[in-house]
Amino acid sequence: MVSCSICGKPAIYISKRDGKNYCKEHFLKYFDNIVKDTIERFKLFRDKEHIIVAVSGGKDSLSLLHYLYNLSKEYPSWELTALLIDEGIKGYRDITIKDFKKIVDMLGVNYELVSFNDFYGITLDNIVKKLKKEKSNVYACKYCGVFRRYLLNIVARELGGTVLATAHNLDDIIQTYILNIFLNNIRNIASLAPVTGVANHVKFVKKVKPFYMILEKETTLYSIINKLYPKFVECPYAPTDIRWDIRIFINRLEEIKPGIKFKMLENLLDLINFLRDKYREGEINTCKVCGEPSSSEICRACSFRMKLKLPIKNKVF
Amino acid sequence: MPIKIKSLDGLYREIDVSRIKVKDLIKELGLSIEGYITVKKGLVITEEDVVENGDEIILYPVVSGG
Repeated sequence: MVSCSICGKPAIYISKRDGKNYCKEHFLKYFDNIVKDTIERFKLFRDKEHIIVAVSGGKDSLSLLHYLYNLSKEYPSWELTALLIDEGIKGYRDITIKDFKKIVDMLGVNYELVSFNDFYGITLDNIVKKLKKEKSNVYACKYCGVFRRYLLNIVARELGGTVLATAHNLDDIIQTYILNIFLNNIRNIASLAPVTGVANHVKFVKKVKPFYMILEKETTLYSIINKLYPKFVECPYAPTDIRWDIRIFINRLEEIKPGIKFKMLENLLDLINFLRDKYREGEINTCKVCGEPSSSEICRACSFRMKLKLPIKNKVF
Repeated sequence: MPIKIKSLDGLYREIDVSRIKVKDLIKELGLSIEGYITVKKGLVITEEDVVENGDEIILYPVVSGG
């Protein structure tokens, strides 16, 4: 039996970060220390915030909601709202919504649920069908990602949110890093910081990633310990995305060379510092179609809506 | 009595080996150690712990698409 390096009780986790073994109690302290360090180091939150937590109903975002809910007890001036975007993926999102509702009810957290169908007038499943019918390239994750981020920003703002927290973890970040190296997209790498959206645009809600330094394995463990681990279900479109292969590749590397994920993250943080001056966030424009923040004349959400021949109206409530 | 392994992503296997470390068992199944958390009798165990014939373990997938 492996024992906790601190108290000698049975260990549940061996950390490659510090080489120590942790029992349940000390794992939770270890987890808490890392997230609090991240919050402090990157100045994610202020004393008074309305935090909109983007929740999908998966283990990572349920863990983030649970963690921030508990942390908010130490900050009486924090307000918390959980926000779920329903993309309309049959056999997946309809299932995770049930887990989402179970946990928000258990915690007693306010929540908002907004669907692609209500906002864009089409579900992701129907976008895919439409693209297939038109014999266009079907990149479900690309459409989903752009439409989700766009909607999250709008709804977070409409709800009066001062900051939008997402459950991106260390694994997600380095996967995106590698993905953008392959795609030769340096601008996207520069925007992989723990805090984004502080640009000088009134319509941009600041975005933070409290689990930036936490491994996916650690959020999974947190979710199991706190009985948040949901029914296992996978997005049917995920295996079609190159990220899927990158994920497998990085996990294989981590097995061969333990600790490589931490090195990649530190490398990314150094690179973001180097790129900061070149890709200042202040260069954000306004989309001439919808009036939302955009890095080009027309934002990607509007470009996609035009391509799909969808009406452009940004009414949420 | 073999070791019974059930993974929440649908896999079910029985392996007849007297004693084996969790990490070797996961490799034996062709899976990644990074990709799973192991639970025995309702308690999480580490990849360095040993499981024996007759044990029933549940694997919680770390990687989920979504």
